[in-house]
Amino acid sequence: MLTAAEWGIVALSLKVGGVAMAAVLPIAFALAWVLARVRFPGKLLLDAVVHLPLVVPPVVTGWVLLLAFAPAGPLGGWLERWFGVSVLFRWTGAAIAAGIMALPLMVRAMRLSIEAVDRRLESAARTLGAGPTRVFWTLTLPLSLPGVLAGAVLGFARSIGEFGATITFVSNVPGETQTLPLAIYSALQQPGAEATVWRLSAMSVGLSLIALLVSELLTRRVRRGLHVL
Amino acid sequence: MIRSLLMFLTLLAAAPALAQGKPPLVLAAASLQESMNAAADAWATAGHPRPVISFAASSALARQVEAGGDADLFVSADQEWMDALAAKRLIVPASRVTFLGNRLVVVAAKGNPVRIPVRPAAALAKVLAAGPLAMADAPVPAGKYGEAALRSLGVWATVAPKVVRGDSVRAALTLVERGAAPLGIVYATDAKASRAVRIAGVFPAGSHPPITYPVARLARSTNPEGEAFRRFLVSRAGKAVFVRYGFIAR
Amino acid sequence: MSFEIRVTKRLGEADVSLDLTAGEGLTVLFGPSGIGKTSVLNMVAGLLRPDAGRIAVAGRMLFDDADGIDVAPERRRAGYVFQEPRLFPHRRVRANLLYGAADEDGLAATVAMLGIGHLLDRWPRTLSGGEARRVAIGRALLSDPAFLLLDEPLSSLDRGRRGEIMDAILRVRDEAGLPILMVTHDPDEAERLGTRIVGV
Repeated sequence: MLTAAEWGIVALSLKVGGVAMAAVLPIAFALAWVLARVRFPGKLLLDAVVHLPLVVPPVVTGWVLLLAFAPAGPLGGWLERWFGVSVLFRWTGAAIAAGIMALPLMVRAMRLSIEAVDRRLESAARTLGAGPTRVFWTLTLPLSLPGVLAGAVLGFARSIGEFGATITFVSNVPGETQTLPLAIYSALQQPGAEATVWRLSAMSVGLSLIALLVSELLTRRVRRGLHVL
Repeated sequence: MIRSLLMFLTLLAAAPALAQGKPPLVLAAASLQESMNAAADAWATAGHPRPVISFAASSALARQVEAGGDADLFVSADQEWMDALAAKRLIVPASRVTFLGNRLVVVAAKGNPVRIPVRPAAALAKVLAAGPLAMADAPVPAGKYGEAALRSLGVWATVAPKVVRGDSVRAALTLVERGAAPLGIVYATDAKASRAVRIAGVFPAGSHPPITYPVARLARSTNPEGEAFRRFLVSRAGKAVFVRYGFIAR
Repeated sequence: MSFEIRVTKRLGEADVSLDLTAGEGLTVLFGPSGIGKTSVLNMVAGLLRPDAGRIAVAGRMLFDDADGIDVAPERRRAGYVFQEPRLFPHRRVRANLLYGAADEDGLAATVAMLGIGHLLDRWPRTLSGGEARRVAIGRALLSDPAFLLLDEPLSSLDRGRRGEIMDAILRVRDEAGLPILMVTHDPDEAERLGTRIVGV
């Protein structure tokens, strides 16, 4: 099995992926809702921008994050002034990189499940006296929830696999930013470290597989739900 | 509030190190991985907090320093990136020491008895061009040094069509280890690290720019442990650790 | 007057227009399928905005483009029974019935009148067509409506179920005393249930 140090890497990966997912979840849901429900000029552009991290080379994303979160950069300066924190070389930075890379996948899955909610049920609720807010909390959200969770788990899987943006943005600091992919990369640089590479890779594949299975099971619930109506 | 939460979580992650001073953060070129870790272990055994070391490409590390990342030491695989940081006053000039050197060698698989003749050029070209020749990618220092050496020995034109590139010098080494290429151009330290290859020839030191590793303390470093570790690295005892891995003390 | 509806609406290539004034009881909007009868109900419920005109029900102005009045659907107090039941699939029958209700006071009586007491703990997907429609009627009644809108309440049901639902509607018409606007394309239904019939 894994050594203590390797378990530490797994724990860090779960922490970074979990925090990234939790932080991005409401943002992704809001974006998904806007893209699914609201018509406005520039919607196509917003859609494209949301999907950028999916197609842009991760090193570019990492470099842009580095510029943005540098103490002299727009976001980094703001964090420094108001909270006195910097995310460079910190696990919080790794979570930011992972969250950005996971965002498009989460928005896609959530948008599909929001679009799958039957608008006719919502109009029925309106005639029964429910205002838009109550309709959202009692119908739109619960009915899209399996898809929202599927998207979140998919985003989590993407988070714990993030490499390019992370190493470019927050380096490869053991115990802070050295998640599974970065540790595997480091082990690959050492002749004779194949056993470590195998163990960490197996862990990485295992975690991804579990996350994908959970996501797929939730997605099926969404499809079954559609037949119910 | 957020700050204290972040600090709490950071402390959780680093709990064992709390017993001593705060460990310094060292940014080191990926090719130094085993040797720098061994040096850090030796330093920790002497009762100091073990430095936290981030291994990545020198270029990536230097850009993170440029962006304002708070680290203590930078150890580069070439002078170019150290010069870049020096030009922006991001290192303490007096702390910059070129403490290690390396050699460029030709490696072959362990069972392959081939010998590399350095001269005449025709004989060298004949051996190197016999099969695929593994080298690091052109922008990587090891790739640049290798190409310079082959040019100065007058064989580049003949050998170039046979060159296969790995994205790092370690990738080139793997090509030879796995039998994908009979010969490869790597650092002496890489050859020493691998049990599957042997050194078939060494490039004359004058055939390529000197391969050197500078260390410097970063201008923003506030952790005295960083400076202490730097002094250890450039000391006789520190360099001795690297010599065990095939580096040349300077 | 119970219903005063004078609206025009362009839907794609077709124009829907209606001018109707009706008194108490059940008013049937009668006509072939696909000429916008459902759109009229949607306009009365506030789910579809007319291009022009006015809608008043039981003396309350719900829409008037001249005065800029357009009451939100949740404030119109329409008890709307759609052509398809539109039950909420993630809530049991009981929770569906009470979705628009202020309290549970009317539940027992309504459930008894519609004969759905044995369904309260079931999920909507386990109901037959007739059961689901009765639950939908009950849900509309329990939301304390000022008027009822019924869209083809008897369509796609077998003979026995039609009888059940028809009885339920007659009971609501006679016991609740609410103005009802019902859409159908079936002349027998129109004849049997309507206090008056308006051809569209």
